[in-house]
Amino acid sequence: MGLRQDILNDSIEKLELRELIAVRPTTSVRAAIGLMRRKGLGCAVAVDDAGKPLGKFTERALISLLMEHKDALDRRVGDHLAEEWVSLKITDPISKLLECMQEKGLRFVVVVDDDGRAIGLTGQKGLMEYVAEHFPRAVLVQPMVSRVGMDEREGA
Amino acid sequence: MAKRVRRPAPDEDFQDPLSNYDPIEYQDKLERALIEDDTREMKLTPIATVEPSTTVAEAMQQMHDHGIAAVLVATGDNLMGLFSERDVLTKIADRFDDVKNHPVAEFMTLDILCAHETDSPAFALNVMATQGFRHLPILNVDSKLVGILGPRRVMSYLTDRFEKGA
Repeated sequence: MGLRQDILNDSIEKLELRELIAVRPTTSVRAAIGLMRRKGLGCAVAVDDAGKPLGKFTERALISLLMEHKDALDRRVGDHLAEEWVSLKITDPISKLLECMQEKGLRFVVVVDDDGRAIGLTGQKGLMEYVAEHFPRAVLVQPMVSRVGMDEREGA
Repeated sequence: MAKRVRRPAPDEDFQDPLSNYDPIEYQDKLERALIEDDTREMKLTPIATVEPSTTVAEAMQQMHDHGIAAVLVATGDNLMGLFSERDVLTKIADRFDDVKNHPVAEFMTLDILCAHETDSPAFALNVMATQGFRHLPILNVDSKLVGILGPRRVMSYLTDRFEKGA
């Protein structure tokens, strides 16, 4: 089976899930970004008492806050959740993830279990890693990448 | 009279230099596209660039206004670095008021990887996925900046080729 068929047949479970940073809607932006920095993630998910996702707080929202509000870091994340967000089940096909991300321009998608509880994050990076795994030879046979600062290519 | 030495016939001793070359067998059009296309088949522009002396606030304003995750820091076609939402999170957010008028060059990511416009999409994805770079500047044969790849453009390309492979 080819990559296209794999994308249709494989479920989101096949993707590497990122650890979820779960915060309360009342958590401050300062606290949320502290967690995001420590975990190296661009997104925190606000959840309710049952662990069900209410929305995402993203790096993009942080920039908007910093540009618009003097007290950005003291605000509650719950007041600045992304307008557009999606949660998918871990058993949903990868093709559904691709479709959602493309249609809604999303970077992250919250993955939930059968009870609707948030269990992880996936998205553009997870999908790129999945596709890249299908082409291990692509990096073996290609020349080394350029690094910034090279004045000219090496060789002839 | 010298004894004539018979040289082996070419096909007896000939070793095909391609005998160990296994051509790629594609299972579908999507796989073929990812290997045989080059990054010029993907959307590489527009490119958002700022000068190294642009302030942090100005760079962030540009990202905010255009809804983009990163700007390239360049002088003309010469790439100096990249300033992204992640740089804002890790280096700026806690002290925005103190550094917003500083040049963005102080906070940009320097050691970034690039690819060339003749590289395949599979190669570009591999670099982005394995090296942890969300954005990949694309250079031409003269090492001049001609575009940038990010996750959104990669998703667009994958969706397009995925749908065409039906």
